[in-house]
Amino acid sequence: MATAAPDSGDEIRDRIRNVLQGQKQDTVTVLSSLLNVQDELHYLPDEAIEETAAFVKSTINEVWSVASFYTNFRFTPPGDHTLEVCWGPSCHVMGAQKILKSVQEELGISREGETEDGKVTLEYNTCLGACAQAPVIAVDHIHMGRITPQHATSIARELQSR
Amino acid sequence: MAEPITFTIDDQLITAQPDQTIIQAAMDAGLYIPYLCYMPKMEPYGACRMCVVETEMNGRTMVQASCTTPVANDMVVRTKTQDIESLRYDIMDLLMTEHPHGCLTCHRIELCGPQDICLRHVRVTDRCTICPKNERCELKDTVRSMELDLTSPMEYHFRDLPRHVDDPFYDRDYNLCIVCVRCVRVCEEVRFDTALTLTSRSGTALVGTSHGTSLLESGCEFCGACIDVCPTGALVERDYKWEKAETKVKSICANCPVGCQVVMEVNKRNKAIRFIGDLAGEANNGQLCFKGKFASDYPNKPGRYRYPMMRVDGELQRTTWEQAFEAAAEGLKKRSPGEVAVIGSPRGTNEDNYVAGKLARAVLGTNNIDSALNLRPELTEGLLETIGYAAATNSIWELERARCVLVLSGNPTEEQNVLAVPVKKAARGGAKIVVIDARETELTRYADHWLRPQPGTEVTLIGGLIRVVVDEALEDKEFVNERCDGLQELKQELWDFDLVRVSAITGVPEDQIRLAARAYGASNPAAILYGFDSVPLTERVDLTKAVANLALLTGNIGRDGGGIFPLFTGANTQGANDVGCNPRFLPGYVSVEDSAGRAVIERAWSAKIPSSPGKSSAEIFEAMANGEIKAAVLMADGLAPDQHGLGDLPAALEKLEFLVVMDVFPNELSHHADVIFPAASFAEVSGTFTNLERRVQLLAQGMELRYEERPGWAALAGLAKALGGSGFDYESASDVFAEIASVAEAYGGLSHERLAEGGVQWPCPSADSPGTGTLHATADERFRPRFTPMSIRESLGVHVEDYPFTLAHGRVLHEPNRVVDVESRDGLNYIVRDEYVQLHADDAADLGIAEGDMVEIRAEPLPGGETPVFTGFVRFTSPHQGLVCITTLFGELASALQATEEPDGAPGVPGLPLRNVVVSKIAVPVAAGAATAGS
Repeated sequence: MATAAPDSGDEIRDRIRNVLQGQKQDTVTVLSSLLNVQDELHYLPDEAIEETAAFVKSTINEVWSVASFYTNFRFTPPGDHTLEVCWGPSCHVMGAQKILKSVQEELGISREGETEDGKVTLEYNTCLGACAQAPVIAVDHIHMGRITPQHATSIARELQSR
Repeated sequence: MAEPITFTIDDQLITAQPDQTIIQAAMDAGLYIPYLCYMPKMEPYGACRMCVVETEMNGRTMVQASCTTPVANDMVVRTKTQDIESLRYDIMDLLMTEHPHGCLTCHRIELCGPQDICLRHVRVTDRCTICPKNERCELKDTVRSMELDLTSPMEYHFRDLPRHVDDPFYDRDYNLCIVCVRCVRVCEEVRFDTALTLTSRSGTALVGTSHGTSLLESGCEFCGACIDVCPTGALVERDYKWEKAETKVKSICANCPVGCQVVMEVNKRNKAIRFIGDLAGEANNGQLCFKGKFASDYPNKPGRYRYPMMRVDGELQRTTWEQAFEAAAEGLKKRSPGEVAVIGSPRGTNEDNYVAGKLARAVLGTNNIDSALNLRPELTEGLLETIGYAAATNSIWELERARCVLVLSGNPTEEQNVLAVPVKKAARGGAKIVVIDARETELTRYADHWLRPQPGTEVTLIGGLIRVVVDEALEDKEFVNERCDGLQELKQELWDFDLVRVSAITGVPEDQIRLAARAYGASNPAAILYGFDSVPLTERVDLTKAVANLALLTGNIGRDGGGIFPLFTGANTQGANDVGCNPRFLPGYVSVEDSAGRAVIERAWSAKIPSSPGKSSAEIFEAMANGEIKAAVLMADGLAPDQHGLGDLPAALEKLEFLVVMDVFPNELSHHADVIFPAASFAEVSGTFTNLERRVQLLAQGMELRYEERPGWAALAGLAKALGGSGFDYESASDVFAEIASVAEAYGGLSHERLAEGGVQWPCPSADSPGTGTLHATADERFRPRFTPMSIRESLGVHVEDYPFTLAHGRVLHEPNRVVDVESRDGLNYIVRDEYVQLHADDAADLGIAEGDMVEIRAEPLPGGETPVFTGFVRFTSPHQGLVCITTLFGELASALQATEEPDGAPGVPGLPLRNVVVSKIAVPVAAGAATAGS
């Protein structure tokens, strides 16, 4: 147990409370609160669920049912960089599978998610909206088109060393 | 009522109400449509699609879920077409792809006995015997009644989730869940707790708690409602989870005055294994609470008294009933009437209590007779002079229609749990909730106005509310003028209740008083729940009358959804008072001082009744301690030796020269007994309880008596006869009840036969009377309500010298933004949390305490010698000087009840009394884990 007053100096809770109280729009909802917290922290820790429940005078369970419904919310800290690989139809036809495979080999993971060192988050994307450039990847939300597996491998390698 | 709808189901003509759905109409007509997610008394949900039917209307044929489709005139519903049956088969097939299905698909189902161990037919994770609900599962019943011939699904996915088996009372195994979401819905829709939720979505959606936390921190009140509605083995009671019911009887819970109707399941070894809320129960609407659901199994526990015992040469020895009666009679005869007392058990039936009263008065010649937990008799007796009836005026479930509920100095969510359910429902529906209490309780979460008066100033505060009602003309003039007396006298006294003064005395800001008074006064109907948890002895009668004044003034007496509800404890305290287990009243509230009324009962009993009031239970316990009372008969079932309010009862009993105890278990209360009568518990007797809404309900005998235990009335009648009393030749409880009905007017129309069909609320003077749900619903010829003048009083400020502070200890279900750790010890979860102590800044300055310091709160030692100690970190948020407040979590109570070694745990569940305490600063423990608060 804590050796100081409960909650005092709990930096993450303070940050969450600031975000929740700083919401300026007319209608503050569970969803708006969670979105704002995620914008701040880039994920929703348990504390975010608890503080949001207290803020909107609800229970942690109600807030969790909303949060867990949306795939856009994440509950673990993201990696320092995100690497999105498009696997939409156009990219698929143009060899997205090979891109994906080379990236995964380089990052040492077999599915979406964070690398072991937490440096890179790999995400599958259904369409990055640049089909003419297929196959497409996005590095920290910046698109890169006409990617080859070799190029993808070197990008992944570089991200890990950054 | 709206025009009924007629339509056909499978060519059968059905008449239904317009707001019904097809499945409801079918159920009412006795037709079965298979369903899984639908549940009576809950909103339709339409998740499982098992209830699909074919409907034809205006030439269009559709397949629809019958649980969500409203009935319509001339609709043609078909439930058994080939298409529908094949659809249901496919739905079940899909459902089974994630449910272990050996119990549904194994070809040996018909051949295996329930206890057979299967070795090779079905793989381990899918076997029928791994499920605690094997043979009593709604899913399987559904499959069987549909006669589905299922085979193993092609794609079977075992979820392989961890089982949750370390929370109190519950075992949760979500591998067996079929996601019907009944548990989540009952928790949210019916209990308003939202301790469970639906997580994630689509293929991975599952029920559970927020990020899989323990129920202890998720806001669970451990009512067991989710277990009762679960159609599979996913949610089960941990105790007796593998036991199968042999018989099921309808009984009444014996833990609090709500009188919940339960279906009690008894196994073939004569153990009461499960208690399930009876959906048809008028008092509880199918709901139970942590005590009723999980602490009612005490009759099963080992160590019970089996035979009568008497003290021979200082040792308790087994004896016969005859010798026990004789020994008891011998001991009681030696004392004069003023030196003996009879105390009824809180779990005693009306029959037990009536015979106890008759024994005390007609045979022992004393009015020293009371029910043990009738410790605050002013709660109801104060109403006799104002309302005319010593009981709640309205029915429990009328509360859901209240537009405002005022809860005063009571904690119904813990003490009278199911009473709080309709209050929460009203709150959810927009009713205003006003809580007047220094403590933070579960209902303060729902409160629109939470007034925290200085404890002891409640009368003045209610006076302030009445003043605002009068000033702002919120009273119901028509009701007051036509139906009540005494308003002028009250109004004159009201001049004293100047809000500035009221506010100064109570410490509640004027604005809050005004807002609360408007919320109550302007809402129609509005109800009051009142207790005495913070009210000193001297204020109690006046507070009851003040509450009655407020309700009368606003016309809330006799109004559906209004009324006043006293919050007393003890399962049958109401009934005990009704049938004369009371020092001041004979059966039917005939005062012992009323010579004409007394004469009637004297004739019925053929005996003289003493004419001066006797001692109440609290006074009896005191008189035992100071030697005034020398011999007593104590019915102790449902009393814990250290129960709050009983004082140091074991020590008082020790002082007695002669003591007869009738109890289920040996404990400190029976250590000093000279004669012991082994008691039959509530599960083993036939008899009646009367709940706090005056509903007289029949308990059915579910368990057989194995040894020589007897029901209370039989033992007391035997004792009366041994003392030479006449008129005690009862053959059965039903005989006793017939005599009660003949002497107590309000019970006149009741009998065991009639009550077997359902409880009836008194007054029910004749066989053709339906009973009375709401008192004074029409002008009552028997009694005209009257106002009682009130006087303002200064704060009492009674503090014990060495304990200058008053501790208001509150308890809540859920505090989401506080850090809670859950620790596992011996396989059970416990809450570990740092607490806050609310202290007034001025007090803190005197004590040299700063915000954030750690303090220790040490209470006055309890009668048993134990000193409650609390620790926590200071915040300057106490509303008053001299008051310290802490709020702990309800989960602690549930863990303690689960872990208790007492055979009968419910009476020992601690309440939240105010305590005199001393506050001192202590150093913050340096070592981690040392600051376990609230222990």
